Amino acid sequence: MLVGIPLESKHSHVVAPKDCADEMSAYLVLVGQSRCQRSFAEVFNYFAPRLRSYALKQMGNEALAMELVQDTMSNVWQKSHLFNAEKGAPSTWIFTIARNIRFDMLRKQRNRKEDICADDLWPVLCEQTADVNEVSLDEQITLQELGVLFEELPKKQREVIEAIYIEGKSQQEVAEQFNIPLGTVKSRTRLALQRLKEMLKDND
Amino acid sequence: MINFHPDLVHLRAFAQGTCPTNLALMVSAHVDMCPRCQALVMQAQEEIGSEVFSASSDVIDTPPDYNDMLQQIMQSPAFEVPEVKAISNILELDGKRFELPRALARYSEKTGNWSRLVGKLWQAPVDLGQEGQANFIYMEKGGKVPEHTHKGTEFTLVIDGQFSDGLADYDCGDFTIMDSTNKHMPFSEADEGCLVFTMVDKPLYFTSGLARLLNPFSQLFFK
Repeated sequence: MLVGIPLESKHSHVVAPKDCADEMSAYLVLVGQSRCQRSFAEVFNYFAPRLRSYALKQMGNEALAMELVQDTMSNVWQKSHLFNAEKGAPSTWIFTIARNIRFDMLRKQRNRKEDICADDLWPVLCEQTADVNEVSLDEQITLQELGVLFEELPKKQREVIEAIYIEGKSQQEVAEQFNIPLGTVKSRTRLALQRLKEMLKDND
Repeated sequence: MINFHPDLVHLRAFAQGTCPTNLALMVSAHVDMCPRCQALVMQAQEEIGSEVFSASSDVIDTPPDYNDMLQQIMQSPAFEVPEVKAISNILELDGKRFELPRALARYSEKTGNWSRLVGKLWQAPVDLGQEGQANFIYMEKGGKVPEHTHKGTEFTLVIDGQFSDGLADYDCGDFTIMDSTNKHMPFSEADEGCLVFTMVDKPLYFTSGLARLLNPFSQLFFK
């Protein structure tokens, strides 16, 4: 706790949160048990201004900050019977309420669309089936099968594919290695992949 | 036994409510399964609450008139108690039943169809709305994901069973974050296989042998 910072004038008996926790706990319990307005006012007067400081930092906007304060303190009032003094301090409980409300407020504000879909994320591995029982595992194309098909490619196409996909060379490097035009590398790559695709289809 | 946990930074951000939503979902599911991280999150909440509401925390000048707000709050009608609907937390695949952690329970019914993948792998997508998509991945015994690295970040939580990836062995509840600095090949040798919940923000990048063929032209092969 920092020393020497001027404390809020309203609270002549201001103390560290740990020290006032018991007091606030007791008020909250009273609110929960008997809707005691005076006790709630005590809780409110302590927490609302501090909540506002937090809310201003989080929301960066006075109107939203006050909305957060109001919603949080409404929840404290309405749900005080759920506060369990044995489980934790009022500051913890009220913070978690504020955090959750803030999160929902931000979510509502945001209208950004993130168009990530499974095909983007798991591009190769996905094969949609309507019914999981319809297709047996034996019918799957495996990497081993791909390897077998690969061996059936014409030598010139295979060399290019090997250099690009297994040795990791660029198309330009492959052109230089085999002393062929870049266009030829591109067309051989395309033809090879088309061929593989057809072989995979026939294989089905 | 859980050996892999979220970073303390992530746990704290989770407690603060400031970590990205998709990560928060993963952390939340891990916390459901991990007493250690439950305790750490509770401790972090206590610390943050105490900082936010410390007696000396700066109370910004020109405070608004709180009295109206106070009166309004106390006079407003009682909240309606929302009906609590019990939701099943059982995810099914091919006769197998998996119990999901609380944070993921609501996806047990929202999960798309299971799809077959390469090898002995199964995948079911989970639509997270604005947060994009996650997947349940089930590796049968002997199932293998070709070696890959990551263009973005890959979060994985083990829901059931065990798997290994050449870097370590992972057990139920383990939580990992992989990025472009990690190259791995997940596989499961567990008799019951392994169910994981996973999210990637960019495609995987296959690194070994013929699997590299799958990278740029994948759409040609697996339509």
